[in-house]
Amino acid sequence: MVDTKLSRRGFIKASAATAALASAGTVGFNEWFKEYVKAGSNAEIKEIPSTCNACSSKCGMIGHVKNGRLWKLTGHPDHPYSKGKLCARGHGYATVVYSKDRLTQPLKRVGEKKFEPITWEQAYEEISGKLNEIIKEHGPQAVALTEDPRASGKFYSPRFINALGSSNYFTHHVVCSNSRDAGFMHTVGVSSTSADISNAKYIMFIGRSYGDGIRPSSVQSLAAAKDNGAKIIIVDPRLNNTGNLATEWLAIRPGTDLALVLAMSQVLIKENLHDTEFIKNYTVGFDEYAKELKKYTPEWAEKITGIPADSITRIAIDMGKAKPKALIEQSWRGAFGCNYENSTETGRAVAMFNALLGNYQQKGGSIFGTKPHLGNLDEGKHANPKDPDAPKAGKKEFPLAYHSHGVATMVAKEALEGKMKAAIYYHSNAALGYGNPKVMKEALSKMDLVVAIDVQMSETARLAHYVLPEVTYIERDEVIEGLSGKIPGIALRQQMVDKVHPETKPIHEIYTELAKVCGVGQYFNFSLDELNEAMLAPTSITYKQLREKGTIMFPNDEIKLGEVPKLKTPTGKVEFCSETYKEAGFNPIVEWIEPKVSPADDSFRLITGKQAIHSHTQTANIPILMQITKDYDLERIWINPARAKALGIKDGDLVELKSSEATSKIRVKVTERIHPEAIFVPSHYGITSKDLKTGYGVGFGYMEHVPFDFEKWSGAGNIHEVIVKVRKVKG
Amino acid sequence: MARYGMVIDTRKCVGCYACRVSCQMQNELPVEESYIKFYEKETGVFPNVKNEIIPVQCQHCEDAPCVSVCPTKATYTTKEGIVLVDADKCIGCKYCMVACHYGARTQDHNTGVVEKCRFCAELVAEGKQPACVSTCISNARIFGDLDDPNSEVSKAIVKMNAQPLRPDLGKAKIYYVR
Repeated sequence: MVDTKLSRRGFIKASAATAALASAGTVGFNEWFKEYVKAGSNAEIKEIPSTCNACSSKCGMIGHVKNGRLWKLTGHPDHPYSKGKLCARGHGYATVVYSKDRLTQPLKRVGEKKFEPITWEQAYEEISGKLNEIIKEHGPQAVALTEDPRASGKFYSPRFINALGSSNYFTHHVVCSNSRDAGFMHTVGVSSTSADISNAKYIMFIGRSYGDGIRPSSVQSLAAAKDNGAKIIIVDPRLNNTGNLATEWLAIRPGTDLALVLAMSQVLIKENLHDTEFIKNYTVGFDEYAKELKKYTPEWAEKITGIPADSITRIAIDMGKAKPKALIEQSWRGAFGCNYENSTETGRAVAMFNALLGNYQQKGGSIFGTKPHLGNLDEGKHANPKDPDAPKAGKKEFPLAYHSHGVATMVAKEALEGKMKAAIYYHSNAALGYGNPKVMKEALSKMDLVVAIDVQMSETARLAHYVLPEVTYIERDEVIEGLSGKIPGIALRQQMVDKVHPETKPIHEIYTELAKVCGVGQYFNFSLDELNEAMLAPTSITYKQLREKGTIMFPNDEIKLGEVPKLKTPTGKVEFCSETYKEAGFNPIVEWIEPKVSPADDSFRLITGKQAIHSHTQTANIPILMQITKDYDLERIWINPARAKALGIKDGDLVELKSSEATSKIRVKVTERIHPEAIFVPSHYGITSKDLKTGYGVGFGYMEHVPFDFEKWSGAGNIHEVIVKVRKVKG
Repeated sequence: MARYGMVIDTRKCVGCYACRVSCQMQNELPVEESYIKFYEKETGVFPNVKNEIIPVQCQHCEDAPCVSVCPTKATYTTKEGIVLVDADKCIGCKYCMVACHYGARTQDHNTGVVEKCRFCAELVAEGKQPACVSTCISNARIFGDLDDPNSEVSKAIVKMNAQPLRPDLGKAKIYYVR
């Protein structure tokens, strides 16, 4: 793990010898390198495998640590998501470890915006005192915990809240994939599939951009598919950055993707291009579905989507002919993630369309991955907290929502109703990113206790009563991460550099210590290493081996393509007709649902999406990434030239953007890459926490304009159901 | 002897900036200093639009104007054709910045040295790829020996008819597929 490489700058400082060489005339590489190595022989460089934290993918990476300081990162070659590569946010976010705006000690709020430093002991005592008081008075269901789950959080957070007797564990998916998860779950039995992109012949993306919401191996696979001549269709109201790899862009009217999928499904069946054998063996309810679908013709969809009926027919037929190596990709936050009132239905329609193509568990199709077999703690010595009696908040209102993720904004709703009294937010900026910030702020102010665990003073932290400073992911070991996919594997996040701020702690320590003071320490009577050893026990891997390699795959356990497993739906099959939906009060057959709001001639729909350099709001305060935003004006909103001209707006102009919720001032990018009815705003800006000096005041937060809302099926945030007006203002 | 060069396939570039950030970290650059710049070229009218992203860095010209104008010979070309800067000799006069056709040189405001892409010479010497190539998420960058007809880069140039960005401005060692 120790090498003798060094950087150019270290070399320059250390060496005068190369200068002499260079001035002597033409220098050869070998001579130059000899001097270079000599000059850098004092720099100790360690290469430590770990995992990234810049987005939910948690790619494998290798930290190059020079003289004890993180120097640079490379992608882990064995990790299935990175395959040797890292994206810009992966490289850049790691610099958070040296951020000037880090939280360095526990804080207690003593005024509206005033905090004072306290000791960990005081923080634990006061937090546990309040938690126990609230539980005693209102019951454990008045307490909730929300996070953006990563390796340690996924294990410790639900365990901690369950130990307190509450089932209220939530994740950020309410503004990410709740609709897709619900639609897929009740159709094919999993909240998400993966896709065999590199072997596919025909790939459709709906509202999803591999080049913006990056997992490096996905982009590599897509580039490979393109090299192999695959047809790649991007359905999106904006020509996103993956456009270069696409064969065709369908500039769909935002919010109408469901109509497109329904019409394509109708064409497949009408043209007899559906996989009858697959449908016979692995699905239920096809006849009712096919009958219902007859009304969704391409001509019907053309009027709704703005995509010519001929194109819809052509693409559906071509996908039918390319089956089973044809698919609609499973997406994340895109059009069937959490954006529109019809997103759950879109998710369901997509899962069904893939079933029509019979592409499940086929080469070039949709894949049900497999998980590694990992061990558990010995329950005799380390008892699990018992399952809480009361159901998770929102379970009654949203029975179709994917239970593990829940509906995180229910915490705010119940706080406003006076039912939720305490909330813990770990690695989660819910106040800015989960719903309308004004509503979130009011909700948080109603609670008796809000605790934020973070590495920087996020908007949520500023609204908390207590702020607990965590070490960054560069400074901590974590729980082993199981990797599911065609080949299962495991990855370990491990510490690269010494703790920078002595009064910060890793999350497993915080939960363990807080649990003890809360009186539920018996459920945390193990060390992180003991837990990881227990998880590794059924594998043939030692902890030492995992530490050395960082990522280990189990190729012997690779799934067999061609074999469709028994699905985890009630019938064990793909459900074209769903009793679960019926019981929840919805149509058991998929149907067209109108978006909740629609723009008029003088207004636009506000849509959002990722940029390759930012992740949620957590990267906005990273100087090396924010500099790219500044260099290329990336915080601007996108507007179509025809609409801009009519409003007297030119590229770079300052405009006022007004919705029912807020008014923002921002400059515009006039581009043909956006649907005339939509305004696109990148999703990571508008930091309002003055403690985050780099991100503060750059762009605006699109959530400011999003009404606080719940999609009827999955509880998702409906974050694209926003209408705005735009007018030019003086800069 | 090797003569190093690169192919950038803009048809695959998704403009993710990973090359820029990995280059900055490899070279320990200040955040506002970068060796790679990005140009966007949008063509067509909605909905028939194409967008091309063109990353531009030092093209390692065969007869590099920055080398010939440098009064102290701080900028020099190695036998392998990599254009390098000797920081100890650079006086920060910026002649090279003016001479460069590609705007590829940038002055470090801390040291005054006018630097640029060096094809990560120290990594190449170890048989590795430059940082921008090894991190490129879409494999849009290919690096290697232009004099070896069997190298991946040479084969790619032939297969994809890669051309220098501006052949009219002299011979460059970065070839673009557009």
